[in-house]
Amino acid sequence: MSNIVIEANNLNVAYRVLMNRTGSMKELFRDAVKGRVRILDYVALNNVTFSVEKGEVLAILGKNGAGKSTLLKVLAGVLPPNKGTIFVDGSIAPMIELGAGFNSEMTGAENVLFYSALMGRDTREVKKRIESIGNWAGVSDHMDFPLRTFSSGMVARLAFATATDTSADVILIDEILSVGDSEFQKKSKERMVSLINSGSAGVMVSHDMGAVKEIATRAIWLEAGHVKMIGNPTEVVAAYEAN
Amino acid sequence: MKYAQLIRLLVARELTLRYKRSVIGIGWTLLNPLLTSFVLWIVFSYVFASRLPSGQQFAPFLLAGILMNTFFNQGLLGSANSIAGNGGILTKIYIPPQVFAVSSALAAMCNFFLGLVPLVLVVYISGQSMSLLFPLVFLLGFFMAIMVAGLGLCLSILFIRFDDTQNIVSVLLMTLLYFTPVFYPVSALNPSLQQIIRFNPLTSYLDVFRWAFSNNSVATFWDWLFIIITSLLSIFLGTYVFKKYWPRTVSLL
Repeated sequence: MSNIVIEANNLNVAYRVLMNRTGSMKELFRDAVKGRVRILDYVALNNVTFSVEKGEVLAILGKNGAGKSTLLKVLAGVLPPNKGTIFVDGSIAPMIELGAGFNSEMTGAENVLFYSALMGRDTREVKKRIESIGNWAGVSDHMDFPLRTFSSGMVARLAFATATDTSADVILIDEILSVGDSEFQKKSKERMVSLINSGSAGVMVSHDMGAVKEIATRAIWLEAGHVKMIGNPTEVVAAYEAN
Repeated sequence: MKYAQLIRLLVARELTLRYKRSVIGIGWTLLNPLLTSFVLWIVFSYVFASRLPSGQQFAPFLLAGILMNTFFNQGLLGSANSIAGNGGILTKIYIPPQVFAVSSALAAMCNFFLGLVPLVLVVYISGQSMSLLFPLVFLLGFFMAIMVAGLGLCLSILFIRFDDTQNIVSVLLMTLLYFTPVFYPVSALNPSLQQIIRFNPLTSYLDVFRWAFSNNSVATFWDWLFIIITSLLSIFLGTYVFKKYWPRTVSLL
């Protein structure tokens, strides 16, 4: 058995965009009759090939719209590629925009439980952890109140604490190295780094070049869906910044 | 089943969340069909009550119809909307989207079962009694949930792709209501119309429901067969259509 945890082969993702998409059947029909429907294939990823071995942390660099988030979604299994194959070995912890599924009418504790269930955790285990999750997030007094009574900072902290509560084999991170005030930022960054190192592999998208050089063991530079460069983080960051 | 815990949470969430800010909470689940039936009872008891075969009472007949119809509408729209509504989750964490559709159908089923409590009262107040076969209603509810989940999955793709499907569907559902013997007995119609109504699977569901619950209708072996076939057909069609179109639809969320 080789050490490869993630293997992506010739990934292609294209979004089909209706140019005058209005979302209305009536208008689509009218435009189709007049021959005005233009379909545009927006290529988000083009022939992306890479692999991540055990113990590696891969950083994805690139401008907005370069395909970073799309690549992360393909890795998370959320978006099926149009062509190519993707293989991920083991459980995945997708930390993409934390707090998915949070509901403002449910209490903090209920939200923690629900979010954890979405992340595929055993809810019987999570129930025992709710208190310590609330403590770590610094919102333990509020756990039995609806989320709408939380400040936005508290919600972000609770989401972070829940998402990072247990580890997985493969950790996918989209720009969430730090949340909250400066004290919490330090705490959360420490936790993130130890989480990445505890899993067998990690993939992170970040604009924070300092963090990339610090945490990543390899970097990949995407431009308009293509892999422009792949290699040592220091070299890739230098080339990216010079660009 | 890996997603059983999640489905349980989703069902509980759907049952409680809707009434979270109301005073009597989940009581509305019981009160809503009762109030609707009461209004319809006042209006239609003059028209249709005398058309019922002797021994059958209009009030439980009507409430049973309303409960079943609410189950169908709520479950269908709920599961069809569930996938678009949870798009924020589905684009971030991998969960089979079908989980959300199934949960919505099951939530509608739970509401339906809760609604049986006032139905028992109405049955006895109107001078009828429960049938000993009433546990069959739970089996019936299960088949209905399967059918609703299948149809909901088909519709969910359309709901994401075209915003106006929602308006078309609400008109279709209203039309369907008139083609289902919810507030009139089938026997009140002329024979050719009766043939058309018999083609509607919901007619069989209603007949079996009223018959099994309090002997308030007649159901045959063919009704059961029709129910089983339509619900299985619907879930197979739903999962097939969904699997086929989902990869092209997910990027629209």
